[in-house]
Amino acid sequence: MEPIDAGTLPELPAPFWFIQLFKVLGFTLHMVPMHLWYAGMLVALWLYGRGPDPGRRFATRLLAQMPVLMAFGINLGIVPLLFLQVAYCRAFYPATILMAWFWLAIVVLLIPAYYGVYYHSAALASDGAAMTRLRRASGWTAAVLFVVIGFLFANGLSLTTRDEAWHALWAAHNVGGAATGTALNLSDATLWPRWLLMFGLALVTTAAWCVLDAVWLSAGSSDDDRRFARDFALKLSLAGAVWSTVAGAWYVFLAWPAEVFREMFSFPAVLLTLVTAASPWFPSALLFAWRQGDLNRSRAAAIAGTHLGVLALNAISRQIVQNIELRSLFQPGVSYQPVATQWDSLVLFLATFLGGVVVIAWILAQLAKVPAKQ
Amino acid sequence: MEYPWWYVPHLTSPMLIAAIAVVHVLVSHYAVGGGLFLAVETRFAYQSNDTAYLDYLRRHARFFILLTVVWGAITGVGIWWTIGLASPTATEVLIRTFVFGWATEYVFFVLEILAAFAFYYYWGRLSEKVHVTIGWIYAAAAWISLVLITGITAFMLNPGGWPDHRSFWVGFLNPQFVPQTIARTGGALLLSSLYVYLHASLVIQDRRLYHLLVMRSARPALWGAVLITVGGIGWFVYLPESARAALESAAVLTVLVVIIFALTAVVFVLLYLGPYRNPGWMSPGFALALCLFGVAAFSTGEFVREAVRKPYVIYNVVLGNQIAPEHVQKLRRRGFLEANPWTKAVIAELPAGQGSPLLDGGRIDERALLERTEKDPDALRVVGQALFQYHCNDCHALERGYSAVGPMIRGRDLDMNFALVKHLEKAHFFMPPWAGTEDEALILARYLTEIAPPRPRGMDPIYLEKQ
Ligand code: HEC
Repeated sequence: MEPIDAGTLPELPAPFWFIQLFKVLGFTLHMVPMHLWYAGMLVALWLYGRGPDPGRRFATRLLAQMPVLMAFGINLGIVPLLFLQVAYCRAFYPATILMAWFWLAIVVLLIPAYYGVYYHSAALASDGAAMTRLRRASGWTAAVLFVVIGFLFANGLSLTTRDEAWHALWAAHNVGGAATGTALNLSDATLWPRWLLMFGLALVTTAAWCVLDAVWLSAGSSDDDRRFARDFALKLSLAGAVWSTVAGAWYVFLAWPAEVFREMFSFPAVLLTLVTAASPWFPSALLFAWRQGDLNRSRAAAIAGTHLGVLALNAISRQIVQNIELRSLFQPGVSYQPVATQWDSLVLFLATFLGGVVVIAWILAQLAKVPAKQ
Repeated sequence: MEYPWWYVPHLTSPMLIAAIAVVHVLVSHYAVGGGLFLAVETRFAYQSNDTAYLDYLRRHARFFILLTVVWGAITGVGIWWTIGLASPTATEVLIRTFVFGWATEYVFFVLEILAAFAFYYYWGRLSEKVHVTIGWIYAAAAWISLVLITGITAFMLNPGGWPDHRSFWVGFLNPQFVPQTIARTGGALLLSSLYVYLHASLVIQDRRLYHLLVMRSARPALWGAVLITVGGIGWFVYLPESARAALESAAVLTVLVVIIFALTAVVFVLLYLGPYRNPGWMSPGFALALCLFGVAAFSTGEFVREAVRKPYVIYNVVLGNQIAPEHVQKLRRRGFLEANPWTKAVIAELPAGQGSPLLDGGRIDERALLERTEKDPDALRVVGQALFQYHCNDCHALERGYSAVGPMIRGRDLDMNFALVKHLEKAHFFMPPWAGTEDEALILARYLTEIAPPRPRGMDPIYLEKQ
């Protein structure tokens, strides 16, 4: 469609860098729980069904944590979406309106998925005795719904950056010029690798969580549990790294628009591109180096911390790619959008943010004092 | 004027917002009032060493989490999803104006979730004092999130001096802010008591305990009804004049307001006679009736609150059809279809016909368009429909459905329809003014005359039939 005249947009409420910073930060934090229900749920259900005893114990814990992970993950997901709309409303709304019913389906499908997770996890405490066929089915249904939801997200967010596709989709899906909301971005070369890439990363996140869980989160884990976590996490993270590399190569070499490719492979962006591409292997490298010894707390923290860095790298690279892709849409360019920083409300937010962190820390400290259940 | 319009057959897409908003508020108010209930009552139960009551409160907390953390949170996201789809221009303004208000709100959401889970999952494992404190953290965070979101929704009804100042606080502390905060706080108290009654009446067997609970929740419920009334009066007083006029002149709205008052009065009387004076009356049936009356009053209230804003989505800032009022004059001169890339695309897609080209260097030749639609019924249908979708469909379905225009103009002739389209805001002050050229108005009027059903036959007086 026609490039957007930045002059007709309301002013940006804060400098663009600030909005990007929170968008990237929010997305990084969102990815942790989101990966755990995206790929982790499938892994856990599989382990719960046929894994060895320690695997079953890990799966039980992860599945029991799932309702809480979902609550936080959904909330954290709102942050990047909020800042995406602030920065790129003129790209995000048209794209999602063209696929409105599918976009709305995300919310609709989330409800049964969420209740499915609750219903399934309620039977875990009984050590499997209460795990009926219906409960098991609701767990698997939720896992499948998460993958479908991921596909719809990949659709909406890839279409957001593909304004050249809007016209054709609109032409095929409109009544009297108004979008019927029944389009999907299926012809987009980036759609499939984007969707798959996220799943590969999610496998690595699940591996990192497994390690973290074994030594930090579960009181009274046995040597067996820790050994299992160490070995299983290595296998899982390698699988995730291979998966990410294949999907990533597909995305970069076969799907990236020429302009993105050129810019991301010119200095200095190329450094970021290469590090991001290699990054899914970092946790595996640590796990491989430590494949023999005891999985202690500092090792687990190093693995989890490294992986958080991997996710942040991914979020940053995605942001830069998004900026390049959307540049063509904005004239004379996003950075020239009028900015009127809303200091008064920004200060309110930052103050609340800090206050909130203090209260959260207090609550967590209270919970940490509680003796473990067993 | 940048976005495609989302066409939802029969219903119109903004009605989806209303539908989701109703199912959301029924839970979100409970998320606030229920949190207060849990904090206050848990403290009371600890102090009075009432283990049976504590057991019940624990069960209630589970019910509470299942309802608020899942349904409440997801439908809240659902509203946000649908306003972006069905009202993008207004959402753009809201998001850019209040982004840090929302960001602040999310901090409180995170606090709420953490506190709620800690309160429930660590039940019996925290010291009484810490447990109750966490309950209060939840209640405070939930109420503050109510205050924050109310500032933004109240802004949409009466932004006060914001259009001149464009500052966050002027917008946030708008004239509707205090009344709506009072009303919603009352709503939270009332609705949560009604849910507590319904839940307790179904699960508590112990008469003593049930009696105690019924009595203790009666007062907050009655106070809630009082606050709703006080806030409701303030809401009415600080309505923009047009909204008050809409309440008076639209028969539906008048009826609905009467219904709300009647339902609230019924709830108040039932609460007073039942839980307050005769707790023994509170059977599950009574609790269910109370709850249904309350829910009905609430849903109707929410609907009226949405409806009186017309013709605006954000009063004086964005019209229902996603047009800023200050653009109307320009659109009248330069044309409606040309101003939006998506309606322009409709014209570009028209198969080439005879006569001069319709699009010339990005400008639409209105005269050529008028001639073309006059001769070519297909072109009339396409262009007329586009005008309708982008100018009218946010409030009207076309031929059948919500407030469908076809049946309303049954049997009217072209002159009448042309006059109506040209003077929409005079035909009904809660319609936006026509925001296109005269030629475009004529095209739409012709199209409407085409699709309008004829005057029903049997009722024609004889003298008309003879003409
Ligand atoms: C902001 C909302 C809104 C928009 C936009 C809007 N209308 Fe209306 N219109 C209304 C309402 C509300 C009524 C009253 C409906 C009722 O009484 O049931 C109304 C009534 C009507 C009527 C009946 C009037 C009469 O004389 O009895 C017609 C015809 C009509 N609209 C046509 C249109 C057309 C054509 C457009 C687009 C050019 C349009 N409206 C745009 C809200 C709107």
